[in-house]
Amino acid sequence: MSKSFPGVKALDNVSFRADGGRVLALMGENGAGKSTLLKILAGDYFADEGEFLLNGILQNFTSPYSAIMAGISVVYQERQMIPALSVMENIFAGALPKNKLGLIDKPRLKKETMALINKFELSIDPSVPVGSLSVAHQQMVEIMKAYRRGSAVIAFDEPTASLAEEEITVLFKLIEALKKEGKIVIYVSHRMPEIFELSDDIVVLKDGALVTTFITSETTVDELITSMVGRDIGDTYENLSRNTEVGETLLEIKNLVTHDVHNIDFSLKRGEIIGFAGLIGAGRTELVRAIFGANEITSGEIIFEGQKIDFKSPFDAIKAGFALCPEDRKEEGLVLYRSITDNVSIPVLSKIRKALILDRKAEAKLASTAVEKYAVKTPGIDKLVVELSGGNQQKVILGRWTNELMNTKLLILDEPTKGIDVGAKAEIYQTICDFAKQGIGVIFISSELTEVIGVADRIYVMRNGRITGCVDRSDATEEGILSLAMADKDETGGDAQ
Amino acid sequence: MNIKKIAHSKIFTLLILLAIVIATFTILSNGAFLQPRNIRNIFQATVVVSLLTIGAGMLMISGQIDLSLGGIGTMCAMMAAFLMRSGLPWHLSMLAALVLGAICGAFNAVLVNEFNFQSFIATLATASIAQGFMAVISQGRQIDISDRTFNFIGGARFWDDLIPFSLIISLVLLVLYGIMLKNTKFGRSIYLVGGNADASRLAGLRPKRISYLLFMNAGALAALAGMLLAGRMMTSNTVGITNAQFQGLTAAILGGIAFGGGSGGMGGAMIGILILSTFNNGMTMINVPMHWQSVASGLVLLSALTADFLSSRKRTSA
Repeated sequence: MSKSFPGVKALDNVSFRADGGRVLALMGENGAGKSTLLKILAGDYFADEGEFLLNGILQNFTSPYSAIMAGISVVYQERQMIPALSVMENIFAGALPKNKLGLIDKPRLKKETMALINKFELSIDPSVPVGSLSVAHQQMVEIMKAYRRGSAVIAFDEPTASLAEEEITVLFKLIEALKKEGKIVIYVSHRMPEIFELSDDIVVLKDGALVTTFITSETTVDELITSMVGRDIGDTYENLSRNTEVGETLLEIKNLVTHDVHNIDFSLKRGEIIGFAGLIGAGRTELVRAIFGANEITSGEIIFEGQKIDFKSPFDAIKAGFALCPEDRKEEGLVLYRSITDNVSIPVLSKIRKALILDRKAEAKLASTAVEKYAVKTPGIDKLVVELSGGNQQKVILGRWTNELMNTKLLILDEPTKGIDVGAKAEIYQTICDFAKQGIGVIFISSELTEVIGVADRIYVMRNGRITGCVDRSDATEEGILSLAMADKDETGGDAQ
Repeated sequence: MNIKKIAHSKIFTLLILLAIVIATFTILSNGAFLQPRNIRNIFQATVVVSLLTIGAGMLMISGQIDLSLGGIGTMCAMMAAFLMRSGLPWHLSMLAALVLGAICGAFNAVLVNEFNFQSFIATLATASIAQGFMAVISQGRQIDISDRTFNFIGGARFWDDLIPFSLIISLVLLVLYGIMLKNTKFGRSIYLVGGNADASRLAGLRPKRISYLLFMNAGALAALAGMLLAGRMMTSNTVGITNAQFQGLTAAILGGIAFGGGSGGMGGAMIGILILSTFNNGMTMINVPMHWQSVASGLVLLSALTADFLSSRKRTSA
């Protein structure tokens, strides 16, 4: 099966089989293609090439509905239920029993729901609204809904991410029950102990391609991690022209606490690139947003150029010389239906005025300089950014923060290469190193281990809102970082908060 | 700009629409429609709507909507009339009413920005509150205004009785706001925030501040609109400019200010206002009964919304 998005190949010729009555674990780093695969199964995306056969019959989904009808259910991290409706109404949504008058047959609905609840040995009141249940119970309801539909395939996307240990035990019992009924269970998780406890087979993906398949009982944690990490760090990184002169301390974070992160300490020097590695949801984005004045800070200190700072908003941060390229370019980085020019000039609008009126010539010059500097592929600076490819959009944001009227001293890049093809990635790596050469301090967040190790001078690893380690590039290995980023067995229960 | 580009522009389409409306009513009314006095009436009718359209239109460009402007304007006009009756000079009364309008706008902004209410519903509540206060101030009756300066500003006409002074005020404001929108940092920020508030904030704009300024500005302009009407009528009544709010929104949407925010401008809005007031006047000229006029106005708003929807669908699918 293959699937491409503009600029990236998300799935490249992936083939595997899953058997009824077995649990198949889907593993790989962030961006390996697991989610894409699940979405194709669920009928959200359509594969460009390849076939999906269920019981030997070729499936051709045209919508999520057709996937459901064919017997596929995907239990996502974000629950997909109607919070105001009761448990039983959610479970039977789309197939509510009716009485002779054509109204919903409540007694029968309740009876059938109770039968399901008892079958799975749960204790949930079928008449309460789903929104009032705990996350764990909501997930159980979702599973019962999938079961009620008679799904042959039930896929789980990181189901334990927000569950407490007792809840996980219940979930696993449920999955065992599904397995006994001969269902195909597909299970996506980053937690090694779970994989070894639950799964029968393991499929490992990397950069959209199938690496290998294991039978769980015949492999080890080390072997699995090595296969997930895969290829060697290539020449791309060796050829980078790096900054060799690191200046004095630029930024110091002391015991920073926000709603999402705890006790964060780190420092950054002028001309230095520090990387932040971790799994999705580790709190890296939240941390840099707090530093940038976009998220609220509970306690702790941010010291910039030797002075304690307290930004009320990104406006203050930008004035001080901070710049942020957000993870979600389209939602947070760009005003899509405006031109390249308009997007480049936003932070310096007050500097290109003549007696309150915007100086269009100065603005156009700013934009064309940015387009030339980063070789943005576009017919002109008046082009709407929505019409550019992902890589070129990213360059527009970089052009914004590094235009000649900006005085950027600290550049924060949150997943700058996400959704960008290999060639453009290499250009961005060199650009990052060039920033460092100019004395800019760079914070580089990435979920791709190879690139953090390849580009950053030092790598901080985060997990569950905390920094769990810091390694220099010379000592960094993907295995080491991955083990710092992933939850150990004894911490699984601690994730519930 | 080449001819093809002009022919494809929204303004061009609107001008054609305006020409069609004028031609239709001229024929239907046997030319009475084009009498100078009638043209003056059409222009006179644009005054209040223009001021509301400027305020409401800029809010719409920034991605918000204000349904309280009719209520605010009527209350502020009543306040001015009340203050003048109590002996306050016209200038202080007008100033007080403008400030009151801005305060009401700030109240809307607090509801939207601090409490995160939808502007649609929050401003509806403000409208009801303003209407209630208006009734308290007026005790349910109209307040006659004898101040000559106040009545001059709202009602004077020059050049053979053909050009209303208030029209000049509203035109000057339309032009100034138009220039501001297209050529200043503040104007550009309104479009950027309307296009993507999160991204604008992370790029250094202050969407909250902009929202406050726009709501306050709309409130003050509504107060001015209410007072201009009251001056022309030489009385402040309890209906005031309530009905004009609906027309202000229609004109903005008709003139190409998209509901979702981020696009449109004062040029289009100006033509939108003209089309609307020509249309309303024309219906009176050919003796369409009052109630059917209301039905027709509703249909105009629906067709403007449909056009807005179709063009935004085209935009997102492109």
